[in-house]
Amino acid sequence: MLDVRARKRFLKNRGAVVGAALVVLLVLFAIFGPLVATHDPLQSDFQYGITGDLTPSGPNARFLFGADRLYRDEFVRLAFGARLSLFIALFATLIASVLGAVVGIVSGYYEGTDGIRLPWASLGSFGGALVLLVLGHVRPAEAALCLGLGLLAITALVPSLPVVVRRGPRLNLDTALMRVVDIGLAFPFLLLVMAIGAALDRTTATTILVTLGLTGWLGAARVMRAKTLQVRNLDFVAAARALGQSTPSILLRHILPNVAGPLIVIATISVAQMVVAEAVLSYLGVGMSPPTPTWGHMLFEGQDYYLAAPWLLIAPGAAILLAVFGFNLLGEGLRDALDPQTD
Amino acid sequence: MRSTRRQISATGRLVGVLTALALLGLAACREPLEPPIGAAHPGETTPRRGGKLRLASIGDLRGALDPATSAEALGRGAIEIMFAGLVDYDEAAHVVPDLASRWELSDDGLSYRFFLREGARFHDGEEVTADDVRRSIERALHPSTPNPWASLYDMIAGYDEYTQKGAAHLAGVVVEGRYVVSIHLHDKDARFLPVLALPTLRPVCKSAGERYSDSWAPCGAGPFRLEAGGWDHGRSLTLVRHEGYFRPGLPYLDAVQWTYGMNMMTERFKLEAGDLDIVRDISQADVVRFQTDQRWNPLSVFEPVRSIYGESMNTEMPPFDNVEVRRAVAAAINREHYREVRPSAVTISNQAIPPAVPGYDPTFRGQEYDYPAALEHMRKAGYPYDPATGRGGYPGEITYYAYRPGLQEYTAQLLQQDLAKIGLQLTIKLVSFPTFVALAYRRKTTQISNPGWTEDYPDPSDFFDPLFDSSAINEDQSQNSAFYRNPRLDEILARARHELDETRRFALYGEANRIVCDDAPWAFTHNYRFYIVHQGYVRDYRAHPVWPENVGKTWLDRAADAVSSTSPGAAASWASLTGALSRPSGRRASH
Amino acid sequence: MIRLLARRLAWAVFVIWAVTSIAFVVNNVLPSDPARMIAGPQARPGDVARIRKQLGLEQPLGQQYGSFLRRLVHTGPTTVAPDDKEHANCATFGPIHLDLGRSYQQRRPVVVVLGERLPRTLWLAAAAMLAQVLLGVATGVFAAVRRNTVWDHLAVGGSLLGISAPTFLLGLGLQFLFAHELRWLPLDGYGLTFADHAVCVVLPALTLGIFGAAFYTRLVRDEMIGLMKRDYVRTARAKGLPEWKVITRHALRNALMPLVTVIGLDLGALVGGAIVTETLFRWPGIGALSVTALLDRDGPVIMGTVLLTSTAIVLSNVAVDLMYAALDPRVRK
Repeated sequence: MLDVRARKRFLKNRGAVVGAALVVLLVLFAIFGPLVATHDPLQSDFQYGITGDLTPSGPNARFLFGADRLYRDEFVRLAFGARLSLFIALFATLIASVLGAVVGIVSGYYEGTDGIRLPWASLGSFGGALVLLVLGHVRPAEAALCLGLGLLAITALVPSLPVVVRRGPRLNLDTALMRVVDIGLAFPFLLLVMAIGAALDRTTATTILVTLGLTGWLGAARVMRAKTLQVRNLDFVAAARALGQSTPSILLRHILPNVAGPLIVIATISVAQMVVAEAVLSYLGVGMSPPTPTWGHMLFEGQDYYLAAPWLLIAPGAAILLAVFGFNLLGEGLRDALDPQTD
Repeated sequence: MRSTRRQISATGRLVGVLTALALLGLAACREPLEPPIGAAHPGETTPRRGGKLRLASIGDLRGALDPATSAEALGRGAIEIMFAGLVDYDEAAHVVPDLASRWELSDDGLSYRFFLREGARFHDGEEVTADDVRRSIERALHPSTPNPWASLYDMIAGYDEYTQKGAAHLAGVVVEGRYVVSIHLHDKDARFLPVLALPTLRPVCKSAGERYSDSWAPCGAGPFRLEAGGWDHGRSLTLVRHEGYFRPGLPYLDAVQWTYGMNMMTERFKLEAGDLDIVRDISQADVVRFQTDQRWNPLSVFEPVRSIYGESMNTEMPPFDNVEVRRAVAAAINREHYREVRPSAVTISNQAIPPAVPGYDPTFRGQEYDYPAALEHMRKAGYPYDPATGRGGYPGEITYYAYRPGLQEYTAQLLQQDLAKIGLQLTIKLVSFPTFVALAYRRKTTQISNPGWTEDYPDPSDFFDPLFDSSAINEDQSQNSAFYRNPRLDEILARARHELDETRRFALYGEANRIVCDDAPWAFTHNYRFYIVHQGYVRDYRAHPVWPENVGKTWLDRAADAVSSTSPGAAASWASLTGALSRPSGRRASH
Repeated sequence: MIRLLARRLAWAVFVIWAVTSIAFVVNNVLPSDPARMIAGPQARPGDVARIRKQLGLEQPLGQQYGSFLRRLVHTGPTTVAPDDKEHANCATFGPIHLDLGRSYQQRRPVVVVLGERLPRTLWLAAAAMLAQVLLGVATGVFAAVRRNTVWDHLAVGGSLLGISAPTFLLGLGLQFLFAHELRWLPLDGYGLTFADHAVCVVLPALTLGIFGAAFYTRLVRDEMIGLMKRDYVRTARAKGLPEWKVITRHALRNALMPLVTVIGLDLGALVGGAIVTETLFRWPGIGALSVTALLDRDGPVIMGTVLLTSTAIVLSNVAVDLMYAALDPRVRK
């Protein structure tokens, strides 16, 4: 992935090295932290976790980071939270990056092409369906909608139909995909998350990371499209097309390797964003269910106590900050290593 | 980004500065409370007229200030002092005369005749007559009015005809003279007076008309009235004295003002600075501080407890269709631990009636924590559990719905730990409150949850009837979330509704309490109570079992030169800003 | 150019319509009951059912959607009489009426509620934008001019921290430091007088603005560094122009161009996107409204906020695209 020169540039870059170190530390903490802990993250300790005036005990020999508001070991919860946060962030990023790359590359490649025609007949049908619905005739509206879809499908699948039937504005894949991205960006995140949470009966780590992945690909798609636009006009791409290579082959063998660099950078920075996104979801109460320790939950629980027990806020807050900082530095470092600017 | 050693050290320096600031902040954490501002004439007990009482609230008043449709707890204090009713509650939650100077109950117990005071005036100057009483009742109970409490009054004769069959008038309300009105019931009903004292049927001005309209400016016969522009939605509500209030001399205050959407910390700061007079939203740490501070302790009080919380177990879904499992749960919960989630506000509960409701028996033992007994109940249920090996117990999955905001998400985690010790494995699902309400009240949906119940009116029927009577069972709006069906209990509750003798009635509810605690459709866990603090110059404020802010007879005794501001926001912020500039600590010099 | 504008606007309308429709469906399939939320959890079932019927929630989804669209934009009298029930909820723009229905909870027209809240969000967005631009540009220019000194490294490092800190952590930290400890600023809220508003907006604006400022710092710095090496700048310097004139008149003006497009996008996102900040600081704006409306299942208000925020975002995107087209002849096809 990184050729020799890029690797050298990376190692010379102190910021990148610090970022990598932070990430490695985080991973180590996530792997080994829970193993060395002496307490169960889900068990309240009503004997040692609580002080005389009924507040959680502070950092001491027994509880490294103190006790949380239900008198459980904060350190252990932080470690398990690290595992969860990393797991969710990494896999959500994977989904978002893959989806974003696919949509972005395809969209960029097909930009400016002819695409399909939207026949006026089917557009009229859609419009008519809308009017019927507004007037309160639900059934006829459904019929008109189906008619419009049918006409569209026919003209898309049977290009040999006479032009007079197919007449209408053009729509290419790029425009369509970018409109979907627009809709996704304008859609209220909170409503969507609540709806997904309500629809799926169970919120596990998997559903969270799928939710984050499915909402996080939009920005990546845009950037990948811009990069693809730059790359597709290069000589070897034109040559490949002239040679008659199939489109998927061109996309995979020529375009993808040239946009892989920026993709990796986006992905790394995206991990940082996913850590925060997961924390925000937990904070809002639509993330993983309690008593699973996640950094977002710990932040929310610590809020009420931030005067009496400030470590309950500082511990998860610092963890999130360091994780995000580390991944951002790493991403920056990768970008500078892969795409150096003359200084 | 050309990173070198220097950049990292620069960043490190930045982080260091921030950390230092944070630590500085932490060090300054434990500052003591400012002293309360004392009364100007502490020896005197004769109330003085004048002044504006200022309160605040975290929440935001969203609905309308119409007694017929008000559902939220937040507006209750305001509505209580804007609208006077035929009867009201005293501080022991008994029904006492208000607009009606007295009432008579017929021998058969079916008719109440109310004699109104003469000369009582609405805010618009019109006199309150029996016809206004009738009109207001019919307006509130009309089928086009979005009244959330209408069915509480179904004991009035002619209720069904009026609300469902289109009758022009409510037959049970009869005007017998300019100041005399009678209300007839289907049957003897001990709930009638307690629900009548609620704001719902209280007389409203003629401007309200015969039918509900959501653009009506509130106007009633209470001690305070709303002026045009007095309600700044989402920001503040100001009520001024009604000079024609029927009790001579009252109210003492010129005005009462609520500010909405204020942070708890801000409320505390403003209270200390004298910019707020009474505060009800107090954080756990601050409650402890106010309680232990000798100067503030006499000025603060716990409100009477009017809510119950308990783990509601769906008797139609396994494993809670087995009474022994339910008894095991009731005995397995260590309620002390629940209290430790928020010690200032949570008190332990072991029965269906909270302390502030008449009929509460403090000597009644109810459900208690008994771990060996819990294990025994599990054995009797057919799911023996061995704590030493961790084997046994109920093998199936149990889903627990918890919601945010509130303490439920924390008590749920404690419950999970307690029930694991008797072999029941809970999986907690956190949902938002509206989703929770929809799921908890739907049949065959929720196995166990902690919905809680707050008193609507101070009577045991308000707790037993909606929660444990089988007539409250419904497909998707069942407040009987345990879907509990006990014919014997139903019969006792029906008798208690129609029993007018208080001693016999409370004995019946005692029996009902025993049945419910033994059969355990709910495992009663705790109550929640509010803490109120007021400044030293606020006199004659007493916590009320029903009204959250009981300011009808409160008066202010403030020295003329004490710190006060008509617009607390600007003055406080500029004051603190200039204070910060002149003094390094940014706090008042009197400290 | 006109054709481009027309096409982009047409697509914008489509996107707004699609977002609103999807939101309508999603909102209606969420489990729960607005009637129950209005009546409260303790109202008896019969009363809840009556309120539900009064709200018209018994209709099938398709019909509700139809009524929603039909009412949304229509023509009517230029001034509405006070007792005109049919147009009671409308906002009038000449003969064109906009009707978003009536809030279930507040029992007021949604356009009135939005009208109250929008200026507050705009005030916050403007303050945050001001903070972002001033802080970002100043730091970026400073860092570029003092390249490779300790100031430069401090600025870049600080900007990286600014990008990394999540909004609500930042907000909590600022609130704790400036409002609780130092008591220089109010904890939260909006205040009652104009002076109050000015003071109360500082912390939330900073919270929102620091991320943007960090972003702009790097953008401006990178652009300036590139530009300051260009020929015409060197020529200007050789001609003897004072340094500050070189910076402002030549380098800065061109560095600001990419900045302008980013500002446009940010402004759109700030309107209604500042949910966490508004909730944390109890700023009574559109973001806070959308959260409470969602929790109350107040359908009309939810739809109103979705419409408003999606329009803001989509229109700002269109504006930015058009600016690109206008400024960069290579993009114009």
